Amino acid sequence: MPSRHSRRMLATAAVLAVSAATIAGCSSGGSPDSTDGGTVTVTFAASTLGDPGRGPGLQAMIDKFNASQDGVKIEAASVPYPTFGQTVLTQLGGGEGPDIIRFDMPEFEAAASAGLLEPLDDRVDAEKLNLQPGPDKYMTVDGSRYGVIFEDANYGLFYNADLIPNPPTTFDEFVDIAKSTTNGDVYGLAFRQTQAEEAGVWQDIFNYVYGFGGEWSDGEKLTLNSPDVVKGLEAYQQMYDANVIPKGADAATFRKMFAQNKVGMELNNGGYVVATKNANPDLNFSVVRIPFPVKKQGALIAPMVINANSEHKDAAMTFIDWMLEPEQQVELQGVLGASSVATPTERSAESLAEAPYLSVFDELTDSGVPQIVLGFGAQTPDIRKIVVTEVLAALQGQQDMQTAMDKAQEQAEALVGG
Amino acid sequence: MKTRARFGVTFRVIAVLILLGIVVFPLYWMFVTALTSDEQLFSGTTQFLPDFSQIGIFAEALAQGDVLRWLLNSFIIATGTMAVTLALGIPLAYALSRFSFGGKVVVGIALLFTQMLPEALLVVPLFAIFRETGLLNSIPGLILADSAFVLPVVALILKGAFDGVPREVDEAARMDGARPGSVLLRILVPLITPSIAAAAVIAFFTAWNEYVFAVTFIYDKSLQPASVGVAGYIGEQDTSIQTIMAVALIFTLPAVAFYLFAQKYVIGGMTAGAVKG
Repeated sequence: MPSRHSRRMLATAAVLAVSAATIAGCSSGGSPDSTDGGTVTVTFAASTLGDPGRGPGLQAMIDKFNASQDGVKIEAASVPYPTFGQTVLTQLGGGEGPDIIRFDMPEFEAAASAGLLEPLDDRVDAEKLNLQPGPDKYMTVDGSRYGVIFEDANYGLFYNADLIPNPPTTFDEFVDIAKSTTNGDVYGLAFRQTQAEEAGVWQDIFNYVYGFGGEWSDGEKLTLNSPDVVKGLEAYQQMYDANVIPKGADAATFRKMFAQNKVGMELNNGGYVVATKNANPDLNFSVVRIPFPVKKQGALIAPMVINANSEHKDAAMTFIDWMLEPEQQVELQGVLGASSVATPTERSAESLAEAPYLSVFDELTDSGVPQIVLGFGAQTPDIRKIVVTEVLAALQGQQDMQTAMDKAQEQAEALVGG
Repeated sequence: MKTRARFGVTFRVIAVLILLGIVVFPLYWMFVTALTSDEQLFSGTTQFLPDFSQIGIFAEALAQGDVLRWLLNSFIIATGTMAVTLALGIPLAYALSRFSFGGKVVVGIALLFTQMLPEALLVVPLFAIFRETGLLNSIPGLILADSAFVLPVVALILKGAFDGVPREVDEAARMDGARPGSVLLRILVPLITPSIAAAAVIAFFTAWNEYVFAVTFIYDKSLQPASVGVAGYIGEQDTSIQTIMAVALIFTLPAVAFYLFAQKYVIGGMTAGAVKG
């Protein structure tokens, strides 16, 4: 005989099942209607939209575009930053996905190589638009243009001017200042050093490798274990071993620490300026060029692309054309913080007086290198995983850096078939 | 003798308090962190008590995003997954436990095999199938995907439960004229209520926490579950630790409430029939 409990349980499950099925049936979506009374709705996915500091500004620009005309309506697609690339690539591979995407370089290269992006050769005239040649040269894959620059965030040395009155100009000074600033719960430096932040570690070590004259490849062959690459990574390890960083802290944590005067220096990109100001408007910080021997550093280059599967490519292009107009470029640069945009813009005297370091970032536009393995753009995520895993094993003392990179070279060559 | 009994009680009380602490402390720590300002967070002295002057963070979190909508979507998805999984899992487990049929061993191995495949591997082929069948960007589609993922676990749990019921019970019911369906629903299901409740909890929690399918299959913001909504607070350049903690706590509480609701059926089912009446 079923117990009272059992009957009640069964009844509850039945009610829940019926109500769930009913509500679920009512809630089923399907793709939002992309045309409404002659207005074409175009979806735009950008991880920037999720930034507490920059998202509202970008949304305001989208609203401004939508108010400017009746033919095209831009709708923000909601894709969280932590899995942005993986999610959008899966959607594109399945023949779906947002119409316009603000990609990062590794995903851009992967998507372009797979034929998932719309070629823009006939739609974009670089000369007429006066696109910045430095970052714009990376918008081409296999001879075709697939994107235009949405953001070019160059990497500089952020430093707390209260903790560090005179920023370093050489690597030795960098080491000394990091050591002398570290005291109690204050750290001289911070960077990512855990496998959980693989992409972030890659961004951080990128600056060391290029700053010491290394390159991940010569464009045709991988050079992961070349002397200059190893030298850069040994410099990274030197800082780790010097106990001047909050070991184990993730980027979200140490960036908050920087804003709270608990971290003296960090290498970061121009897009970080807005977040820093938001976190603590009173923070006395500035930015200088990274004090490594070679003036070459990473740049977070983010192209704006059109999904090859989009049914509204012309409408998508309308928005991109509008964003490339001088007025919008200036506004976008203001939203992004200290990043460069697709075309040269002039900072106002007022903004330069308020933040003199803006010119530091602008001067780096031509020497910034996108965080991909040149010549192996589409395979960068896989090579990145190999390199970061081996480098972190070296940090933990399991091997020296040369051995780590020899192993990385071997694995990566097997991967790319080199 | 008395001293030994008193020691036993004390030991059990301490053990219960430690276990309670392990379970409750993460929630408490999330609450304290949500109510800690940036200055306090990195002040160098750990703050163990909540600063209630910051309590407005919860109202702000609720006002800023679509938290309530996300929670409703999560509830619909989790409840729907639980219902579909049980509806399919109970007869499947019954068949595996009670009937002999060709390929039975293969089905059992296949169920285990599906558990070896990570979600990330399934998401691409499922995406293609859902695209062809019009199930993308829909809550029923997500319920189906989640159900497919959790069904093998539920089926194996319930098969074990059915195996534990003597076959004489079925035979007695059949001799009384009951059909197999009736034996299942009226005789066996009530006997394995604790296992069904446990399976329901597993199905509910799996769907409640699921992220990979949800973020890939759902485009429309109004259909997103809370697991995706919470991840949206992690920005590329900036993340508000306090907001994340506040929203994550709000996200956790309904699941805890559901567990508290369901666990009495687990216990109730276990004790049912323990006393002859």
